[in-house]
Amino acid sequence: MTALYVLTWLAVSVLLLGVIARIIRILRMPLHLRWELYPVPHERGRAHYGGSRLEDVNWWTKQHNPDHVTELWTMLKEILLLKGVWEHNRPLWWGSFALHFALYLLIGVLALAVIGGIMVLTGSPAPPVLFAVIKILAWVAYSLGMLGALIMLWKRLLDPKLKLFTTGSHVFNLILLGAIDLTGLIWMIRDSEYAVSLTGFLAGLVTPTQSYDLSTVGYWHVSMVLLFFVYFPFTHMTHAFVKYFTYHSIRWEDTPNLPGGRLQAQINRLEGQVVTWAAPHINADGRKTWVDLVGETGEEKP
Amino acid sequence: MSSHRKQPKSLKDISRPSEQLAHVDSLDLFPLPPPYDNPNDPPFKQLPQKTRDAFEASLDDTLVVGLPKPKTKEEEERLVQAFISGLRKLFTSENNWTFLQPLTLSMEHCARCQSCIDDCPYYEMSGHNELYRPTYRSEIFRRLYFKYVNPGVAGFNRMQNGDIELNWTLIARLLELAYRCTLCRRCAQSCPIGVDNGLITHELRKLFSSEMGITVKDLHEKGTVQQLKVGSSTGMSPIVVKDNIEFVDEDMTERTGIKVQTRWDVEGAEVLLLHNAGEILAWPDNPGCFALILDAAGISWTMSSDLVGYDGVNYGLFYDDVQLARIAYRHMEIAKKLKVKKIVMGECGHESKALGVIADRVFQGIPRETAMTLMADIVFSGKIKFDPSRNDFPVTLHDPCNLVRAMGVVEPQRKVLRYLAPRFREMTPHGVRNYCCGGGSGMAIMSQHNFMDWRLQVGGRKKFKQILDAFADEDLNSNSPKYLCAPCSNCKGQIRDLFDYYGAKAKSGLHYGGLVELIVNAMVDVKEGFINWDLM
Repeated sequence: MTALYVLTWLAVSVLLLGVIARIIRILRMPLHLRWELYPVPHERGRAHYGGSRLEDVNWWTKQHNPDHVTELWTMLKEILLLKGVWEHNRPLWWGSFALHFALYLLIGVLALAVIGGIMVLTGSPAPPVLFAVIKILAWVAYSLGMLGALIMLWKRLLDPKLKLFTTGSHVFNLILLGAIDLTGLIWMIRDSEYAVSLTGFLAGLVTPTQSYDLSTVGYWHVSMVLLFFVYFPFTHMTHAFVKYFTYHSIRWEDTPNLPGGRLQAQINRLEGQVVTWAAPHINADGRKTWVDLVGETGEEKP
Repeated sequence: MSSHRKQPKSLKDISRPSEQLAHVDSLDLFPLPPPYDNPNDPPFKQLPQKTRDAFEASLDDTLVVGLPKPKTKEEEERLVQAFISGLRKLFTSENNWTFLQPLTLSMEHCARCQSCIDDCPYYEMSGHNELYRPTYRSEIFRRLYFKYVNPGVAGFNRMQNGDIELNWTLIARLLELAYRCTLCRRCAQSCPIGVDNGLITHELRKLFSSEMGITVKDLHEKGTVQQLKVGSSTGMSPIVVKDNIEFVDEDMTERTGIKVQTRWDVEGAEVLLLHNAGEILAWPDNPGCFALILDAAGISWTMSSDLVGYDGVNYGLFYDDVQLARIAYRHMEIAKKLKVKKIVMGECGHESKALGVIADRVFQGIPRETAMTLMADIVFSGKIKFDPSRNDFPVTLHDPCNLVRAMGVVEPQRKVLRYLAPRFREMTPHGVRNYCCGGGSGMAIMSQHNFMDWRLQVGGRKKFKQILDAFADEDLNSNSPKYLCAPCSNCKGQIRDLFDYYGAKAKSGLHYGGLVELIVNAMVDVKEGFINWDLM
């Protein structure tokens, strides 16, 4: 059991470090040119048709008052309901929604189990209702997840629209997620104390004396989840949180470079970089910066 | 599905030498509504064998870049190495700070769910040929990125992202494939993750141009280089443009009964008017109408006769950030020199995007706004009297992608049309979900070899269908006039070619023009009948 506890801590560490490292890498990337794509939901009163402040004459003289509530609501619909897939790829939505929503429910199960574990540690017994809710959520999550993984696997392997682009990782990811759901489901069927076992296991993570023995299938389930934790940060599945940046830092990022604003200093620094493109019309010589090059015409030297 | 269709069966096919990777037969094409539903329409002109022998033409039925075939294996190898070098530079801050973050995120997080593909008019109209999927070129490029830029652990990487063999066949095909997308970014709107295939195409074009010096002549030599050297991508020098505008002013004065005189190089004017210079040559009524409207509204305005200052075109937007910055820099410097309060960008989508949005983070300078906003402001200011009944003919609106999807300028032009065109009707879909004219990203000026055929039969097919559908309640077998308002020079170029190709003016009375022509046509002080269908 101790080994599983050690592996759990290691897997959680890899997950957190991997996610943090990816976020830091994204945040450290330089400011880019404006590349927003309308509709931008924070455009108050205009988002429903895709309008922007640029529709106003002398727009730079007018106060901009972004609508962050609509922006948040748009994001929630996208994350929780996969609105984009529903609108643009309906045949895929059923499987994709089941798979994704099951993951959200499992995060909920984990959060409740952590609460239960904390209660165990503090000596106040978790109320039966907590265990009941954990079990209901887990039943739905595992069943939905299994269904989603199967539908998606079928789509990935047989749907002509997808199979041309299917790589080994798509198949592996779905099998792994399906296996997590399957082992979870079997654990619940075979162990009526599933919720108690789960909270007990989590409590044991911080107090070795509280070490809790899992059933064999419980071991398998936890091991699969740990494998997912270690694997996740190195895959395209990180779109789960990178989506925040693709939306907020690119698609909806419309900050104008107005006098007195924060952008020009960054732009000056970036334009001071030495360009090394090799095409003759660029005329880079290993010393010229962007600022040096823009004064030229792009004619190739004889 | 047609038996005529030939298409790649896998991503790896792009590296496998063959005479032609894909072929679209006219029978594969999405059918048009009557009276344009003749299945016996002339097929594509085939590329002559001598062209295929001389140029890299193994992608599909046509040729845009027309790269001569390397003469030796050594030359091929040198080009392959240059491609790899460019690929790596594309992911460095010093060379590509401009798009490093959006590009990297689009490379690393695509789920390959294909939610975007049905939004692409090229893919749909080609009869769903796999080569034109917006994801096909992106996925090839993504595999190259993971192989040469971000390889990680080799076996794990292959399992995650698949593999691809990089050879000259692939590079030559990828080069052409970068010009089978109009960068309209409709597919990017439908990506649940925020991946942008339009951006990936843009970056691919940049790699070829900035590192290898390979691009389309119409964009580079005849485009940005000529503009920076002579003053305009049309080839007009300052003397010629002044002569042409003088002619426009005289013609407008005669036809409208109102004295029109363009002002040049007026320091301290409120507005520096910057047209796509193509308007002056191809659609001279358009700059003439601007002059008339601005004068009637009592706005102090000027045009610039400095090199580059009278042409808002910036083809750098489509293929090369350095060229983009060079032109934008001159526009900004000229505006500063004239001490104008703002630049107003004429009826040109890409000019508006390049100068209004993209250049915003290249140089801080004079504020810019689109002609759509200023025109709506003038029309509803009460300074000019209108008689909308003068525009009593069917009108629909084509939304230039760069105005709507890239800038969110959607409502001003429709507000004007709803007021001044009593028989205005929308296309379906419209606004930010519009379809590209098929000539976006400079495609409208490309006609080499047989590309015009492809651009009109495949590229512009969806737009042509939309136009016909918008006028479906009218008699399309009659030449009673119908007006397509297309407030963008590039789009007008494509629509002109489309209407000519299908004989749409004679057959269905389809005409096209800008927004300002409709405004002037409805002005009470202007002689009736400014819009003359026989002259259009």
